[in-house]
Amino acid sequence: MSEVKSFYEVDPKGQFICHKCGIPLVKSDAVFGYLNNAFPVEMPVCPKCGFVYVPEDLALGKVLQVEKVLEDK
Amino acid sequence: MVFAKTKSVCPVCLKVIPAEKDADRDGNIYMLKSCPEHGSFKTLIWEGDVRSYLNWQIENRSIEAPVDGKEPSKGCPYDCGLCKEHLRKGCCMLLELTTRCNLRCPVCFASAGEKESNDLSLEEIEKQYDYLMSHGGPFNIQLSGGEPTMRDDLPEIISMGLKKGFSFFQLNTNGIRLAEEPGYALELKDAGLSCAFLQFDSLSDDAYLVLRGRKLRDLKLKAIENCREAGLGVVLVPVIAPGVNDNEIGDILKFAVSNIPYVRGVHFQPVSYFGRNSLDRSLKRITIPLMLRLIEEQTGGIMKKADFAGGEAENPYCSFHASYLRRKDGSLKSLPRAGGNSSCCCCNTASDDTRNFVATQWGSLSAPATQDTYRSADNGLTETSSLDAFLEYALKNTFTVSGMIFQDAYNLDLQRLKRCYICEMDRDLGMVPFCAYNLTDSNGKYLYRK
Repeated sequence: MSEVKSFYEVDPKGQFICHKCGIPLVKSDAVFGYLNNAFPVEMPVCPKCGFVYVPEDLALGKVLQVEKVLEDK
Repeated sequence: MVFAKTKSVCPVCLKVIPAEKDADRDGNIYMLKSCPEHGSFKTLIWEGDVRSYLNWQIENRSIEAPVDGKEPSKGCPYDCGLCKEHLRKGCCMLLELTTRCNLRCPVCFASAGEKESNDLSLEEIEKQYDYLMSHGGPFNIQLSGGEPTMRDDLPEIISMGLKKGFSFFQLNTNGIRLAEEPGYALELKDAGLSCAFLQFDSLSDDAYLVLRGRKLRDLKLKAIENCREAGLGVVLVPVIAPGVNDNEIGDILKFAVSNIPYVRGVHFQPVSYFGRNSLDRSLKRITIPLMLRLIEEQTGGIMKKADFAGGEAENPYCSFHASYLRRKDGSLKSLPRAGGNSSCCCCNTASDDTRNFVATQWGSLSAPATQDTYRSADNGLTETSSLDAFLEYALKNTFTVSGMIFQDAYNLDLQRLKRCYICEMDRDLGMVPFCAYNLTDSNGKYLYRK
């Protein structure tokens, strides 16, 4: 992997509100775990309840690509 | 016990005759057929029972009509080029750029090097590209022959194809020029070559003497080394002949895995009896179940029969394939079998997605796999380097094992032929399915090839 880090743009920037707690989500570390693999990714997370928002584009993009590589038959 | 019917041809006169699939008492499946004039024929088609044969089948088969297909008149396989009754529009197209060759392989399907040299002119190649683009292109292009590297204008031919809109170019080669000419692999890669499909029958010279007529081991290794230096991907292509090199399958696979990522995979071609194949035709054939058993046995179970499936785009009985991810500790993990897989070329599937996948892998290893934002962090950006790193690792460490069971006049099944996906470009006929183009009667006379 090159030195340059890869970032995923969340839109609208930092404006998500946790529906349950009513407070803004903050950028925090989350881990995607799949079939004994762990991928630490920064995500918008609710600081109170820990809800993690996964942007649709990311879920259907890179995350799906990783799943396809890892998935068992 | 006969459990299915199809059509085939008489190996002597190539007339279409009915054929039956028969589960024999010996536990294998045979094709039985009789020509009123030339007698009965029994050919091994599957080393396994009926259940294993039927289980290999894949449901939900799609049909793609050839673009601007010809009206059939005489019936399959006599109307090739492609006719309206063909069930695939094609994936890989072989351009036979020359009939010249610097080997005289006893097993050559094209009987190359026998006749006067006959190279396609650049104008003819341009016409073939144009024909393909107007008949369903772009396709994956296989630069073939003869030995295509006998020509000095391959870079020009690739550049021309790129300009016409093709993006995937595979070189079907014996590797001699790649080995002997410094800088040649890089020259081809720079011109746009996607990968080398390298004849690679063995890690010792004995098999080369039988199958290719001369010792070639060191040259093959040098060709791979030169491709590695050039960053050009290589797929090893062993012809497997019973009693010649069927005991080397595991060694070839282990060698290939130890050379990931520049060796991208191994594509087996169990020997067929067409063209100039002077091997004894009574030799037993190798069918899909035996190939898979030998792979599992000779790799010590690193690769398993269960990892493999038949091609979904072509007829499943024409091919087998499996994909693996090499883990960081060197072990292999079998990967899921994506829909639409095919085993006809380096790319391993016919879809545009895969063409792009291969292009990403070998076009530029540093290219991101998806369209993401690369910039310094701010509140609206989340870091996904771990996903990218994994995807890049996967791109460099995936490895494919595949094989194709070509058909000859003995085992030809017209149901299989109608789904053929690999075509030879013929200057008069257009696109002709590979196994029809190379079909020869028992005297070596071709149905189509001139």
